[in-house]
Amino acid sequence: MNKKVSYLVSVGIFILFAGVVVIRQRTPFNLSLLSGYETLVFEGFRNTIYASFIALFGSVVLGFIFYLLSASKVRFFHAFTNVFTEIIYGTPLLVMIFAMAFVIGPAFINRPSQQEVHILGVVGIIIYITPYMTNIFKSAFSSISDEQYMAMDLFGFTPFQRYRYIIIPQVIRILMPPLMNNFSLIIKGSALLSVLSYRELFYAIQIVQSRTFAFTEAFLLMWALYLIITIPLSQMTRWLERRWALE
Amino acid sequence: MKIEVKALSHTYDVQVLDNINLVLDEYKAVAIIGVSGSGKSTLLRILSGLEQPTRGEVFVNGRSVKEPGYKKTVGFVFQNHNLFPHLSLLENITLILEKTRGMSKEEAHAIAMENLRLMSLEDQVNKVPKNISGGQAQRASIARALSVNPETIFLDEPTSSLDPILTHEVLTAVENLRNIGKGFIFVTHVISFVRDFADYVIFMHEGKIIEQGPPTFLDNPQEEATKAFMQKVR
Ligand SMILES: Nc1ncnc2c1ncn2[C@@H]1O[C@H](COP(=O)(O)OP(=O)(O)O)[C@@H](O)[C@H]1O
Ligand SMILES: [Mg+2]
Repeated sequence: MNKKVSYLVSVGIFILFAGVVVIRQRTPFNLSLLSGYETLVFEGFRNTIYASFIALFGSVVLGFIFYLLSASKVRFFHAFTNVFTEIIYGTPLLVMIFAMAFVIGPAFINRPSQQEVHILGVVGIIIYITPYMTNIFKSAFSSISDEQYMAMDLFGFTPFQRYRYIIIPQVIRILMPPLMNNFSLIIKGSALLSVLSYRELFYAIQIVQSRTFAFTEAFLLMWALYLIITIPLSQMTRWLERRWALE
Repeated sequence: MKIEVKALSHTYDVQVLDNINLVLDEYKAVAIIGVSGSGKSTLLRILSGLEQPTRGEVFVNGRSVKEPGYKKTVGFVFQNHNLFPHLSLLENITLILEKTRGMSKEEAHAIAMENLRLMSLEDQVNKVPKNISGGQAQRASIARALSVNPETIFLDEPTSSLDPILTHEVLTAVENLRNIGKGFIFVTHVISFVRDFADYVIFMHEGKIIEQGPPTFLDNPQEEATKAFMQKVR
C-alpha cells in the first residue's frame, strides 16, 4: 500500500469503529436532537479556546520568568525553580485546578465569586504548564552553541543586535513546535475546568446531554470539535518542525 | 604579518599554554600543528583576540590583542563552519557588514557577492547552511571571514569534519587566496597542505612550542614528540 492509501484506510477503520459504536447504542442515533443547542455548544467551544489562549499566554510569560530565574547565577533562584518544578511534575492537573480554586485561592480571596473560581482554575492550568514552558525555553536557548556566541563577539555585534538578529530568530524557530504541542496539552487539559462549572466545551456538552438525553450524539460532536482543533495543530507543528529546522 | 608573543601562559582548570614566546616577521602563512589537546586552538583563539590570555602579551601587526578594536582586524574560520543557521549564505555576510561595519545594503550585498563568488558559491547564495554540503559551508565561512576585510585570517581545523574530497576542495580554495595580501594563521592535520601553503610551522606539545621553522624542518624533525607526530600523520 502506498502512503496515501494507508492513511485513508486507517482513517476509514476509525470511522467504521465509530459507526459500530453508534449502531450498538440502545437508542437510535439522531443528530437532529441537538438542534437548538448550537449556540450553547458554540459558546462552550469558544470558551475552551478563550481559556486555552489565556493559559497559553500566562504560562509562556511565567515559564520565561522561571527560565530567567533558573539561568541566573543566584543559587537560590536555581533551587527555587527546581523545587517548584518537582512539585508540579508530581501533581495531577485535576488536583492542581482543585487546589487553586478551592484551597490556595480562598486563602487569599475571601469567598471567591463564581467568576473568580474560574479564573483560579485557569491559573491552576498556567501553573501546571509553566515548568514545561521553562524547559522549552531552556532547550531553545541552549541550542545556540558557544561557537555562535564567539562569532557574534568576534564580528562585534552589540548585545541588542545579538538578540534581535541572531538569538531570538533562532530561539523562536526552535520554540514554536514544542510550544504548539503544549498548547494542545492545554486545550485538552481545559476540559477539567468543567469541574468548576466553567462553561467550556465539555461542560456545555454535559448540559446539552442532560437536556436532550442525546448522549452519544453530543459526545461524538464534542469529540469531533476537540479533534478539529488538535489534529490540525499537531499537523502544523510537524510541518513547522520540518520547515524551520536549523540543521 | 608580524607576530610577537611574550611569556604567554593560559589556564582553564589546568595550565593549557605554558610560557610561549614567539617573534615572527614577514611570514604570510603560519601553520600550528600538534596532537589533539596540545593547546593549538587555545593559542589560535588568543592570537585572534577571541580569548584573553591569563598571562603575557600578544601583538599582531603591532597591535595588542587586548585592544578593543583588534577583533575587527580579524577573520576567523571555525571548525564546523559556524555560520548562523537561520540565515542564508548571503545574509550571513550582509548582516555583519550592515550591522557591525555600518555599510549600506547595496555595499554589503556587493561585497558579500564578490566574496561568495571568489569561493565559487554564486549559485548557492540564497540557501541556508543546512541545505548545502559541508565543503560549501566551510567555503562560505571563508567568504564570511574575508568579507570583513581582515588583516589576518585564522582557521581552526577547517576541514576536520570533512571527507577527503571536500577537504581537498576547501584547502584548494584557501590556497588560491595565497596572493590576496592577507596573513594566515591556521591549525590543521593535513600535512600536505602545511607543506604547500605554510611558510612557517609551529609544532606544539603539551602547551609549549617545541619546534618551529620553515616547513622543511618537518622532513627532519629534531624532537621525539615531533618525530612521533610526523610518523602518525604520514
Ligand atoms: N574552554 C575551555 N575550558 C576548559 N578547558 C579547555 C577549554 N578549551 C580547551 N580546554 C582544554 O585545554 C586543552 C587544550 O585544548 P585545545 O587548545 O583545544 O587543544 P587542541 O586544539 O590542540 O586540541 C585541552 O586539555 C582542553 O581540554
Ligand atoms: Mg583544536
